[in-house]
Amino acid sequence: MTTLTPAREVRGSGPLVGLTWVFGPAALLCVLFMGVPIAALVWRATSSGALTENVTSSFALDAMRLSAITSTFTLAIAIVVGTPLAYLLARYDFPGKALVDVLVDLPVVLPPTVAGVALLVTLGRRGIIGEHLQAAGVDIAFTVTAVVLAQLFVAAPFYIRTVKAGFETIDPAYERLAWTLGASPWRTFRQITLPLAWPSILAGAVLCWARALSELGATLIFAGSYQGRTQTMPLAIIGAFESGKSIEVPIALAVILVITAAALLAILRLIAGSVPRRAPRA
Amino acid sequence: MLSVEIAARLGKFELAPSFSAGDELVVLCGPSGSGKSLTLQAIAGIVRPHAGRITIGDRVLYDSAAAVDVPIQGRRVGYVPQGYALFPHLSVAENIGFGLQNTDRAGRRSAVESLTAATGLSGMNDRRPHQLSGGEQQRVALARALACGPRILLLDEPFSALDTAIRAELRDVIVSLHESRGIPTLVVTHDLADAFSLGGRVIVVEHGRVLQQGTREDIFYRPATRRIAELVGTRNVLPMTVQGWSEGVIHLDWAGRAIAAAIYASHAAPPLAPGQPVEASVRPTQIMIRRPGDTFEGRVNVFAAKIAHEIMGAETYRIFVKLPGSAAGEDLEIDLPAYTYFRLGLDHDKDIEISIRPEAVHIIHTA
Repeated sequence: MTTLTPAREVRGSGPLVGLTWVFGPAALLCVLFMGVPIAALVWRATSSGALTENVTSSFALDAMRLSAITSTFTLAIAIVVGTPLAYLLARYDFPGKALVDVLVDLPVVLPPTVAGVALLVTLGRRGIIGEHLQAAGVDIAFTVTAVVLAQLFVAAPFYIRTVKAGFETIDPAYERLAWTLGASPWRTFRQITLPLAWPSILAGAVLCWARALSELGATLIFAGSYQGRTQTMPLAIIGAFESGKSIEVPIALAVILVITAAALLAILRLIAGSVPRRAPRA
Repeated sequence: MLSVEIAARLGKFELAPSFSAGDELVVLCGPSGSGKSLTLQAIAGIVRPHAGRITIGDRVLYDSAAAVDVPIQGRRVGYVPQGYALFPHLSVAENIGFGLQNTDRAGRRSAVESLTAATGLSGMNDRRPHQLSGGEQQRVALARALACGPRILLLDEPFSALDTAIRAELRDVIVSLHESRGIPTLVVTHDLADAFSLGGRVIVVEHGRVLQQGTREDIFYRPATRRIAELVGTRNVLPMTVQGWSEGVIHLDWAGRAIAAAIYASHAAPPLAPGQPVEASVRPTQIMIRRPGDTFEGRVNVFAAKIAHEIMGAETYRIFVKLPGSAAGEDLEIDLPAYTYFRLGLDHDKDIEISIRPEAVHIIHTA
């Protein structure tokens, strides 16, 4: 996912004839299994004739607005704090590096609900940091801030991992050479390293944003599900089902998420396609 | 004037080069893994020694005793690494002008213009590195290194990725840039032909240390040790015994054969006592084979020989000859043009006569 390698070179290279009747049906079944539910969702949403009405309900609008705002904030924070970490991990050895590496990997494999509980016992009202914040009059749990933090915890690793891999593919010879030409480390980073890492930064951002947008478990536990405050789109879908509202609203929300996800994947493909397949090595 | 005397430990490798050079073209030559590139990187400030001193003119770049270690950015070295490291996202002009950030736009443009002209890159300003040939990339790297007015030029294996025709062209570019700039230029190469043809001073490096430095003739024709002789491709290293002296010549015994070696003023020799065993090197290209009809009159060091076998190259043939009574491993190697091989009608098992000029016999002083 993160390396974005197109498989074009091997396409049509082998004799498929003998395999068609074995692989064909299995592949078709697989495609149908993934394609039909999505198609059904889109078909159902558009055929009800009330898609616009459902999307513009205050319940849906609140969720969409909140999702857009929180996921954008999450992405911004991930870029600001994640880029330096990714660079340090890619370029330097320091004590405890292996531990940091594992920490960054952990949220990717953990169930998000675990992240939610962890955040709650840290920043919740009776959490180890949260109780001091509470005493100072700052309340984080069950606020918009909590939504962003939950998303950040779960989604930032996707950004960091992708960008770290990007930095690693850049030959340090470029940076060293810029230094010999008198460029400061900061100028070298801005004018040499960042532009060369740009495709992976973009790819990491798309992955991170998509993950933040679909965040559910951690948010539910750490931020709750209050309409207009912490109820993002995935939470709104669950909320609508639980409250026994019409099924049409969650369907509309689901379709919007499908369209957004498809758009993000398209962007990712575009990035992958625009990167010349040269390894940036000196 | 460049002076390097440092010690650095990199893993298990110990780098301890020691040499100095004027504003001349200096070739750092040695097998791969000998520490040539690391020496360049230490001068550039990329590799940090733990002891020693590096100076260019009166400017100290590194001095462990005085706790001086000028950072890379302040060293003003023109460094061209192996593979060039051209910034792939910048155009030719942007690459060359990268080191001129303190110059205004107009000044930068004119500097880039004069550099592209000097390196034969005119009209390529807007190209990207991947649109350039290997030779053009090398020129851009040279121009970029020269842009910020370096005190020294460091070139790491500048010819390694280039084909023969481009090599010759680029060699001329480097030599003429060196002449016009008048700054010390250090070229690292493992290629003996490149080392010789660049001219100037040659420094032979192995295991992180300088083995010998001198003119190219010193190094190639008069290697100081058997190892250097091997490194610079002198494959005939022969055991001999000193017999005596006469006018300008040392008489030696080579397994029962008398052979004379010239004494070089440039290679001040410690006195060699009669009976002392020595080794002597003879370059494979400096052994002459008698042509039919040539009386070999006036020649010394004439021996009968038999061709044992030959290796054919595209341009040159290498033949291995046995001298009567010589033991195994005492064969002489002779390199000669393919044309000569055929004109002399040479062949397997053919008996020939060879002659070695006394000037071509170099005595290696074994410790």
